[in-house]
Amino acid sequence: MPASRHTPTVPPVSAAHRRALVGLGIGLALADSSVVTLALPDILRQFDVEIPQVAWVLTAYNLGLALAAVPAAYVARRRPRTAFATGTLVFAAASLACGLAPSFGVLVGARCVQAVGGALLVCAALDLLTAVDGSDARSVRTWAAAGVVGAALGPAAGGILTETLGWESIFLAQAPLALVTLAALVGLHVRPVPGPAGRPNVPANVALLLISGALTAALFLLVLLLVDGWRIDPAVAGLIVTVLPAAAIATGRVAHRLGGSRTRAASGAVLIAGGLGALGVLPGSSWLWTIAPQLLVGAGLGLSLSALTERALHGRSPQAVHGGWTIAARHAGVVVGLLLLTPVFTSALDRNEERALRAGAAAVIDSSIPPLEKLGLAQDVLAVVHASNREVPDVREAFAGKPDDSAYRMLESTLVSELDRAVTAAFARPFLLAAVLALAALIPIGLSRGKVSV
Amino acid sequence: MRALLFVLSCCVAIGLVIAYVAFGGTSYEPTPVANPCAPRPTHRASSTDERIEQVVLAASDAAACRLGVSREDLVLALRSVDDLDRLAQKSGHSRDDLEEALRDGLVRAVDKAHEQGLVGDRTASTLTFAAEHLPLGLLLSVLRETSSLL
Repeated sequence: MPASRHTPTVPPVSAAHRRALVGLGIGLALADSSVVTLALPDILRQFDVEIPQVAWVLTAYNLGLALAAVPAAYVARRRPRTAFATGTLVFAAASLACGLAPSFGVLVGARCVQAVGGALLVCAALDLLTAVDGSDARSVRTWAAAGVVGAALGPAAGGILTETLGWESIFLAQAPLALVTLAALVGLHVRPVPGPAGRPNVPANVALLLISGALTAALFLLVLLLVDGWRIDPAVAGLIVTVLPAAAIATGRVAHRLGGSRTRAASGAVLIAGGLGALGVLPGSSWLWTIAPQLLVGAGLGLSLSALTERALHGRSPQAVHGGWTIAARHAGVVVGLLLLTPVFTSALDRNEERALRAGAAAVIDSSIPPLEKLGLAQDVLAVVHASNREVPDVREAFAGKPDDSAYRMLESTLVSELDRAVTAAFARPFLLAAVLALAALIPIGLSRGKVSV
Repeated sequence: MRALLFVLSCCVAIGLVIAYVAFGGTSYEPTPVANPCAPRPTHRASSTDERIEQVVLAASDAAACRLGVSREDLVLALRSVDDLDRLAQKSGHSRDDLEEALRDGLVRAVDKAHEQGLVGDRTASTLTFAAEHLPLGLLLSVLRETSSLL
């Protein structure tokens, strides 16, 4: 009998399956930059930390990815298969550690390790896709699209998992999914790319940094506004913010037909700035007001991120190294966004807490309920405010057991409205600052070489 | 086509921001509180509690106006000595200044209420005595107790 008949055969993996598996890996690693956004309030409560501290769950991952991306890319260009496998295993192991973290310090530490694994995985994925597709242009498009989908879907997926199974499930679910992507390596031959790496496309990468900084506001602050500010259920908030990735994916599918990469990048930056500007001047505290801005930000994301990534990689070799630069720029942008916007947001929240207390006191004093009852009610409201431990208080609790007459109902409604106004106004300045970041991206986009399309 | 995409994006972005501003986006913030130095509309008090409340609020307005703070800040600061000290520090006054302004405001509010016939002779003298001599922390409790004297 011929020996080959006894050799166990591995079913061949089709190019489409390989592309999907590698895309899943990229999506997982890049979704992690925003996937825990909706879980932050739960993490904050579980580990008893403040808002600036809990933001480090996001910052640590993005900072790690920004710092590790370029070195990881140099490793990946020499040994793409090994880099992808190692990156995936490290990412999966660190995800498990995040999900089982006994303390806040361990969680942040595991997030750093996860970022190193993610950097290796994402950078090596570019060469793997080139080996699958046999074309640089197609692999770059798939790579960029997987990144956009992952980053945009992250908050919604994280919100739904947090609400249904708890925040730990985000990380525990990632580990097996990441391991599945290793199947893409079966029977795949990837040739290392020799030769020195050229200089990165600085304007395209700076524009990516600024756009990513601006997008942080949309992805991070919007979910905080919905969940913590307007007290919307995290699962519902997760569904509300799917408008943004849906718009990004829909725009991304037709983006190539809409113009050159520079036009798409500039148009995307303007749309993101417009959406963030509108979030900065919200006329009410209903989630419906966030739909139109989300559509603009999503469309801008679909247009600009893939266009800038293509621009940064166009005609540059090796792809993995320049892909590494784009990852470093994007995640450095997220870190800049978080470091810039978090203090602006927290100081605005403190200032508006005072304004809300003052407006609430005026509402109680001017209400038509009997004077002595006012004093008792005012004490109950203040007790709720103090018990809220820096979260937005639910003043309706103070009205439990109070008479069900129009004077009380009107006062309750006025206090809730004043609180909503204060919270919404506190988010205005960071959103407007993020809009400025998006507009600033027009400068490097305008400076980048290539045919002027506008 | 290329210029069209950019121009269209600019129009949509600017249009949305203008629409949100037109719907009141720039004024959606906590309602500003009234100036304590400006006269407020008063309604006719129908009960003793309301008369007492009007005297206290008039006193708070007078004191807040003198200190350059809002009536609401002053009322919130009366919760505790710490809050009072915090307001004094924030408004650039000492706690003695705050106490003096409160007592003075209360005496003037009682005089005015007496002139208008809102409070009787005995109540007016009791409130004036309390305003001038009682420790600040006791002042509001005393005002609540005085309803029986009217």
